[in-house]
Amino acid sequence: MNEGKGRFDIMELIKKVLFTDFVKGLVITFGYNVSMDSVITVKYPDEEKWIPYRRFRGLHTLNRTADGRELCVACELCSKACPTRCITVIPMEDNTGRGISDRVAKVWKVDLVRCLFCGYCEDACPTRAVRLGREYELACFDRNCAVKNREELLRPQPVPEEMSGGVVAKARLRTTPDGIEVVADLSETRKRRV
Amino acid sequence: MEKILLKNLNNPDAHKIDVYIKGGGYKAFEAALKLQPDNIIQMVKDSGLRGRGGAGFSTGLKWSFIPKDPTIKKYLCCNADEGEPDTFKDRGIMDWDPHLLIEGMLISSYAFGASASYVYIRGEFAFGAKRVQAAINEAYAKRFLGKNILGTGFNHDMYIHCGFGAYICGEETALLESIEGLRAQPRKKPPFPALAGLYGKPTVINNVETLACIPAIIERGPKWFSSIGPEKSPGPKIFGVSGHVKKPGLYELPMGTTLRDLIYNHCGGMLTAKPLKAVIPGGVSAPMFTAKDLDTPLDFDSVAAKGSMLGSGAVIVMDESTCIVKMAHIINRFFSHESCGKCTPCRDGSPWVTNILSRLEHGDGRPGDVELLESLCTNIFGRTFCPLADGAVMALRGAMKNFREEFLYHEKHKRCMV
Amino acid sequence: MGLQPINPYKRYIMVTVKINGKEITVEDNTLILDAARDAGYEIPTFCYQADLMGIGSCRMCLVEIEGQKKLQPSCVTPVLHGISILTETPTVMSARASMLEFLLANHAMDCPVCDKGGECELQDMVYKYGPHKGRHAEPKFKFHEKDYALSPVIIKNSNRCVQCMKCVRVCREVVGRNVLGALGRGDHQEPTSFFRSFLDCDADGNCIEVCPVGCFMRLPYRYKTRPWDLKGADTICPYCATGCRMVIEHRDGEVIRARAQLGVGMNSETLCARGRFGYEIINSEARLTTPLVRRQRHGTLEPATWEEAFRIIKERMPSLGGNTVGGIAGARLATEELYLFQKLMREVFKTPNVDSGSRWDAAAVEGFIAATDMAEGGVSVFDCMEADTVFVIGSQVSEENPVTEYIIRRISAGRRMNVIIAGPRAMKLDSSANLLLRHYPAAEAALLSAVILDINAAKLAASADLTAAKDAKLDGHLKAAGLTIDDVRALATKLRNSESIAIMAGTEFLRYPHGIESLNLLKELLRSLGKKVRVMPLLDRSNQRGAWEMGVHPAFGPGYVKAPAPGLGISGMLDAAADNSMDALYIAGADPAALYPDEAHVKEALSKVRFLVVQDIFLTETARLADVVLPGASFAEKDGMLTNQEGRAQIIRKLLPPPGKAKVDLDIIRALGEMYDRSFGPKNAALVLDEIRRAQPMYADVSLAFNNKRNVDNKLDNKAALVKGTKAALTIRKFEQAASGQDAQYPFMLATGNHLFHSGRLTNYSKTLNDLMKGMTVEISEEDALASGLAAGERVLVSGAGFSVTLMLTVKKGTKRGVAFIAENFDAAPVNRFFRKGKGAPRVKITKA
Repeated sequence: MNEGKGRFDIMELIKKVLFTDFVKGLVITFGYNVSMDSVITVKYPDEEKWIPYRRFRGLHTLNRTADGRELCVACELCSKACPTRCITVIPMEDNTGRGISDRVAKVWKVDLVRCLFCGYCEDACPTRAVRLGREYELACFDRNCAVKNREELLRPQPVPEEMSGGVVAKARLRTTPDGIEVVADLSETRKRRV
Repeated sequence: MEKILLKNLNNPDAHKIDVYIKGGGYKAFEAALKLQPDNIIQMVKDSGLRGRGGAGFSTGLKWSFIPKDPTIKKYLCCNADEGEPDTFKDRGIMDWDPHLLIEGMLISSYAFGASASYVYIRGEFAFGAKRVQAAINEAYAKRFLGKNILGTGFNHDMYIHCGFGAYICGEETALLESIEGLRAQPRKKPPFPALAGLYGKPTVINNVETLACIPAIIERGPKWFSSIGPEKSPGPKIFGVSGHVKKPGLYELPMGTTLRDLIYNHCGGMLTAKPLKAVIPGGVSAPMFTAKDLDTPLDFDSVAAKGSMLGSGAVIVMDESTCIVKMAHIINRFFSHESCGKCTPCRDGSPWVTNILSRLEHGDGRPGDVELLESLCTNIFGRTFCPLADGAVMALRGAMKNFREEFLYHEKHKRCMV
Repeated sequence: MGLQPINPYKRYIMVTVKINGKEITVEDNTLILDAARDAGYEIPTFCYQADLMGIGSCRMCLVEIEGQKKLQPSCVTPVLHGISILTETPTVMSARASMLEFLLANHAMDCPVCDKGGECELQDMVYKYGPHKGRHAEPKFKFHEKDYALSPVIIKNSNRCVQCMKCVRVCREVVGRNVLGALGRGDHQEPTSFFRSFLDCDADGNCIEVCPVGCFMRLPYRYKTRPWDLKGADTICPYCATGCRMVIEHRDGEVIRARAQLGVGMNSETLCARGRFGYEIINSEARLTTPLVRRQRHGTLEPATWEEAFRIIKERMPSLGGNTVGGIAGARLATEELYLFQKLMREVFKTPNVDSGSRWDAAAVEGFIAATDMAEGGVSVFDCMEADTVFVIGSQVSEENPVTEYIIRRISAGRRMNVIIAGPRAMKLDSSANLLLRHYPAAEAALLSAVILDINAAKLAASADLTAAKDAKLDGHLKAAGLTIDDVRALATKLRNSESIAIMAGTEFLRYPHGIESLNLLKELLRSLGKKVRVMPLLDRSNQRGAWEMGVHPAFGPGYVKAPAPGLGISGMLDAAADNSMDALYIAGADPAALYPDEAHVKEALSKVRFLVVQDIFLTETARLADVVLPGASFAEKDGMLTNQEGRAQIIRKLLPPPGKAKVDLDIIRALGEMYDRSFGPKNAALVLDEIRRAQPMYADVSLAFNNKRNVDNKLDNKAALVKGTKAALTIRKFEQAASGQDAQYPFMLATGNHLFHSGRLTNYSKTLNDLMKGMTVEISEEDALASGLAAGERVLVSGAGFSVTLMLTVKKGTKRGVAFIAENFDAAPVNRFFRKGKGAPRVKITKA
């Protein structure tokens, strides 16, 4: 036991003297510098933006049917299923064909400060109206803008449902009166190296 | 055999009261008026007459349940709502010998003290209703009906009530509801109609054929009556034969005549050379028999012992060209259409069964359909409010027991075996 | 005189049955279902409802009875001695699952959209008893695509129906309207109105309440919420004195539903339109939210702070006012508030002038209390229904106390008993009566006197002179009442032949007090004949009885204890005010200007009061005349107790805070008292209640155990909540019949009271109820309409002495000829303008407008 330990110590000592681990690390680091096509960092937000996979759970989106009617029937199951009680739904009657039934949401809002993106609302939804989308830029300057209401959520998200994701898209940073936003060009993407 | 019930069937003027009286009519009624009412009930009991509507309950016993208190108003209802497919025996009596019915009703009413009686006639029997109404008018004119009948102090009124063609009205309590002007749906029992029936008063409900047997019992005595046919269910019985036989029609034969005798001797045998495949012995709700059961005597107990029922005595004969699945579908479609909607299994279960049978019949069977049907039958049978759905299920179960391979063939090959 | 609590004619035979091996003893003829539930076993049902006739159609309750081949429906099968019942065998469980499978086979399955989702009995049962896998893959039958409205309060989706027919049965057996029935047959059977037409019914929504699924739904509640989002509080309906227990529920501060619960309260699942849809007043825009003061004489009312309002009151209301100060409290306030109110008036302002209500003479009230034995403790309506004869007089009970009417109808249908109704107008309950007497308005005295004479006929017949005198008198009475001798004889015979009699006396006796003496006389006469007589008042304000019991009356204090020096009642105070001798009047929760029968007089009197403080939740007619208006709280915003007409003390709970700066009435009264006397109190409702209980034997041991759990045995009659009797010396003054000014020019006698959809002016702030009303109406008999060539729905001009108004005509079959009815609640047609102080029923004429 002692002998073994002594030998081990000697090996460790030799490794330390020769900076073996350090060199190993440097090899990896310099390796990235040497070969340009194996860059794994993403130049976000100035040049690129990561487009997540479909399974990603980001900002909620409310879906419509192909002919533009709201799928949400305001059954409130999402708000019931929500573990943090961050979804508020108030139904109303609307016979104008706004929704797939005459019950539609008067209010559908989610408090993103409380939301933990568990996706229970998505599971509870009987009409597949609510989905957790791929929008993840949720930072804002006051709490009120973290409460997303129905109108915002009904707007289609930049990443369409049919896109499989898992790529890095070309993007640029745009300054608007409300703040800054990252505009991604989904036509120009590249696979991310691992 | 001498005809008792259908004796006037071939006499085109028998519906007229003069002709009827000339043939010895209303003699029994006059004789009955001289008897004590209790004696009449005893005579009917002794005769062993069993209800011809289907259940085969002792008629005399049924009458004896009526309270004897003369201050209570009592009613007699004649169940002439002959709604089952292929049953047409009562119609023969109503159309061609209505006075026989009226006489029977009068004797019965006198026996247990009914002050009014109703003939509940199926809406589709417009001709029969007209005939019976005309006969009632004649009877009133001859003072067989009305106040102080034949000077005996017995008062009786008779009314016709036409149904609107719902099969459920043949169920006795639904019939009462219908007469009262309510939706024809069965009532809960107890209280039984014998204690609280029409308008809450004691009521007897008898079939047309049962009532038509009464005059003969009074006239010739219970001994004579019980000597016809088997001991347990004696008397003459009208069989309405339809289907693949040479001579379909009404046959009045003693109880206990065998099926083979009925089909091959009286009805002239099968229609074509095709052999007999199945026969329904007592209306569509009775489970069907096959050729091996042809020697069953047609009386209540023997048929029941073979797992079917005599019911109304409507015999439907089918030869080899018949598709049993189609037959089952037609029967079940009838029952689900005629469900009154009161109880859950019948209302929602029968249309489901019919839908499945319809798919099977039209070549859209799915694997597991036959098992599903069997399971649904189990779930419906015995759990309904009245026997309507039981009848449908019994018919289907009988068909599936004897011809299961046909159902499976429909399920698997999506076409008919025949 | 003690009353026997149990019907002596009922025999209690007990039988022993075994349920799942457990032996229990129950009364004979108990249903298996009830016996099993008593034994603690659960049996699911759809079509069974304790108060309705059993039909045994849903087949959910099938149980196994040992020795019987078929399963039996436990909801219609009574127990037999010695049978053994099994409720939890695999067969029974599979039967339950299969019934649910059948029900789901044609069910719409649109739970996400359905308003019932979350409180649906079908959902719960499928969750509990299965099947958890659907086998039905056939096309479903659809009755219709879109939901359709059956009435302004009912929306219907038949695709969800489970055909339990409770809606139809409750409409027929309890409400008595009989406007629902089933269309079609088999799986096409649909319970609905006559060919789905728009209903003209009582709009009470009982069909909605009994519906186990989302087939009948509330239209005002449609797509507003899910049940789990609602917060509720148990309360008592404030719109009549029946005292129905209900739950009001709000979401985000808006009350959106009132519902009754099965087996809770005396009303179980039933309510009337007012109770079920009258909750809208709570969130009305018109609610007073801040104190209002009139800063200059003849100026307008302006918003003010509480401090300012109180300062003005302190300045202008003398603390030792004595006879020149008065107080009127409305009978809708809670008992605690009423107690504190009279305490404030009597102890702080040292005035005996307190009264409750705004329509009736104080002396009449005293006589009525004595005649109806109110001081002798509570009388349960269920006990009354145990009597051989129930005699309803002086009340349009179908419209004023609808739920009392439901109880009378339901129980009398199942028992052999007499229901006798006397009144000028036809009503729904008439169909349950086996004797109807149509007399003129205000002729109760004549009717009762005639009956008394007839019952006493034997005694009087001894002397020929007396007989003649009697006949002469009798004829006079008959003429005054507009009845024939046969009517009166039939009534007298029924009363004479009954062992026990329950008299339900309504508010007409208070409106026309000369009948009170006869009522009392009849009661005493029947008692002297050895009959058990119960008298129950039928009142129209939720806490009227509580107000009297708390001594909000000039002649007696709390517990009917005679006041040392009787003060002025409302009429006296108004007279005094009209004489310019009223310094200050404090009116809380009452609206005499709109309801006192003589509008001109009351308005003049109130405007002559030197300082008028009005405390209410709306700017009422009276509040408009006030110098200071204090915003109070509605029934949803306070804790307290109400005593209903039977004398049943029941608790209400606070659901919401009062709107804006409004305060709970108790706090206002207490704060007012504290301004003058620092020690005025007690401080809160619970302490006030303690004081009431300590001081008053009537309430000392009344059980206020909050009766809000479902009574498994369906015993709705909580006798422990009835107030106890007290010894009180009340006097019945003799009132002369006021002449109504016979005039051939005015052929109609005017009757008034509550409309079915309204209770005083308060419910005018509910939009749903106003929509049901479809405008202001005057009601006359069918014969009169024919005779004068008028048709229902026509605009007619109703004119009396000095006032005329255009109304819509409604026609009622069976109403006494020469009687016109206008409800009390129309803002634009105040019926009290027809009335003249001290006169009898006014007369009007009706012509085409």
